Amino acid sequence: MLTDFGIILIFFIVGMVFVAAGLITNMILRPSHPNKVKQSTYECGEEAIGSPWILFNARFYLIALAFLIFEVELLLLFPWAVVFKELGWFAFIAMLIFAFILLLGLFYDWAKGYLDWDKPEPIIPKMKDLVIWNKD
Amino acid sequence: MIDIGANFVSELYKSLGMFIPETVLVVTFVVAIIMDLIFRKYKNIAAFTVLAGFFVTGYTLFACNSSGYAFSQTIAINPFSQFFKFIILLTSIIIVIISFLSKELYAENRKVGEYYSMIAGMTFGMFLICSSTNLILIYLALETMSLSSYVLAGYTKEVKRSSEASLKYVIFGAISSGIMIYGISIIFGLTGSFDLLAINAKIATGNLSIAPLLVSGIMILAGIGYKISAAPFHFWTPDVYEGAPITITAYLSVASKAAGFAVLIRFVLLAFATPISQTQPVWQVFAGIDWKLVLAILSVLTMTLGNLSAIWQTNIKRLLAYSSIAHAGYMLMGLVIMTSAGVLAILVYFFMYMLMNLGAFYIVMLIANKTGSEEMDDYIGIGYRAPILAGCMVVFLLSLTGIPPTAGFIGKLYLFMAVIDARWIWLAVIGVLNSVVSLFYYVKVMRNMFIRGTDKTEEPLQFSRVSIVIALILAGANIYFGLWFEPIVRWVNECVKSLF
Repeated sequence: MLTDFGIILIFFIVGMVFVAAGLITNMILRPSHPNKVKQSTYECGEEAIGSPWILFNARFYLIALAFLIFEVELLLLFPWAVVFKELGWFAFIAMLIFAFILLLGLFYDWAKGYLDWDKPEPIIPKMKDLVIWNKD
Repeated sequence: MIDIGANFVSELYKSLGMFIPETVLVVTFVVAIIMDLIFRKYKNIAAFTVLAGFFVTGYTLFACNSSGYAFSQTIAINPFSQFFKFIILLTSIIIVIISFLSKELYAENRKVGEYYSMIAGMTFGMFLICSSTNLILIYLALETMSLSSYVLAGYTKEVKRSSEASLKYVIFGAISSGIMIYGISIIFGLTGSFDLLAINAKIATGNLSIAPLLVSGIMILAGIGYKISAAPFHFWTPDVYEGAPITITAYLSVASKAAGFAVLIRFVLLAFATPISQTQPVWQVFAGIDWKLVLAILSVLTMTLGNLSAIWQTNIKRLLAYSSIAHAGYMLMGLVIMTSAGVLAILVYFFMYMLMNLGAFYIVMLIANKTGSEEMDDYIGIGYRAPILAGCMVVFLLSLTGIPPTAGFIGKLYLFMAVIDARWIWLAVIGVLNSVVSLFYYVKVMRNMFIRGTDKTEEPLQFSRVSIVIALILAGANIYFGLWFEPIVRWVNECVKSLF
């Protein structure tokens, strides 16, 4: 007796076997002649410089967070818009309060200066300081 | 299909009427931020706003004491939740007041606006936990509280220890809340509901398989156990308590623990147990899983580990951290027995615990303000350099041990009485043995303050009059409620009745 989840389990197993079989057959059959050019990273034909392990500016996160808040607000506005007529003023005021609190967050960011990308005295990082690997 | 329209709106209005204290807290939080942004010159404007907000909250908490369910049965307003809200609010007010005196917080002209508004946000989260009866809401409220507490734990961010504490707290917190929500999802799969009462009804039928229920129950206990720092989910406690600013350590050890216990009691008794009858104040766990034994093991582990580790500590904040783990273990004993006397004992204990623990941390803060150290060795001779504060510290430490004329004794008395009445003699014996062990390390602090270092002639420490008065009030309360505990017990008795 198979439940619905049992069928999913079978799909899962068959899927894994299918992929694994393809990869393993390839590995057995294909010729293997690695050289330096073949193994290098392909990035749009550009030659790769340094390592991708660099420190990102923390301000990206702040901007992303501010963006995310308004993104989620939009998501919550949709169901409200659908039932707006039935709920009337109560919902309107509730939503105004909600939007106000989010807006306050934006003002907070603004007043604290998190939105200015150019700080008064920018410290320009040097490439060789940013790269963790290949320091020498 | 949810009814949308006039009925829905009127039900929301009714719910909002019962939700006034929480609403006031949210407004306080928002206003504190606005005030801090507008009046930048006044450093403590947010603190005064938050303090005023807390007093209004306290007024509304007692002014509109209607009980019942709100927001489609997800929130239960009753005397039980009101008691915990009172404890949390009182702790928050005391913490805000003693934060004014903290030196590390105001060091290097730090901006403290966010600090106070975050305390308001955390209080809101804890209020929500105390009254939620829906697993999703419990999870959300726990997160609301945790997010603020992560920030607060790392508020003195240029201190490496503090940032480390905050990061550890976040990582442990994320994992345990992940485990908890997985447990919630399994319970939802089993019973088809997030509502504790509906889950209770489903489990009562006895048709559920035991294994998933046990696993999910333990997973949820892990999430809540993290908040009350019960072993084996306590690993974050010593590091975070040591690294966080002392005011926040005190706050976490009392308020956040109170919220954890409120939700733990509600969750275990509402979901997994049922009152034997309307007249008998005893709960019975459903056949299948012996939750009493699981809780008993947790309790014994927690108090033994807390006490035995505390012996070896050389930092007083770590010592108090382990002692607070041990106290969580004692309080868990009251839940193990699942009688109304046990729950009553937990609530009484919590009131007393709040007084003594806040006091002890307060003295540690004042002394650290002057000496800049929290090491046990720097307490040598403090008894002669600051006799009044050291005297207060002795009262708090005796209270934490549970020696008669203090509040801690009454808490322990009710707890052990309830455990022995319920015939869990072995648990009571382990509890008493643990109290004896705890005496050793509390006395070690007193010995350092008074007996050692009498030959040293160091300058006496000067403290402001306000800070000494606050210490004396807290110490006085410890003795006062140790002698005159009857009104507290009577009030708590009313609160416990509302759980049935």
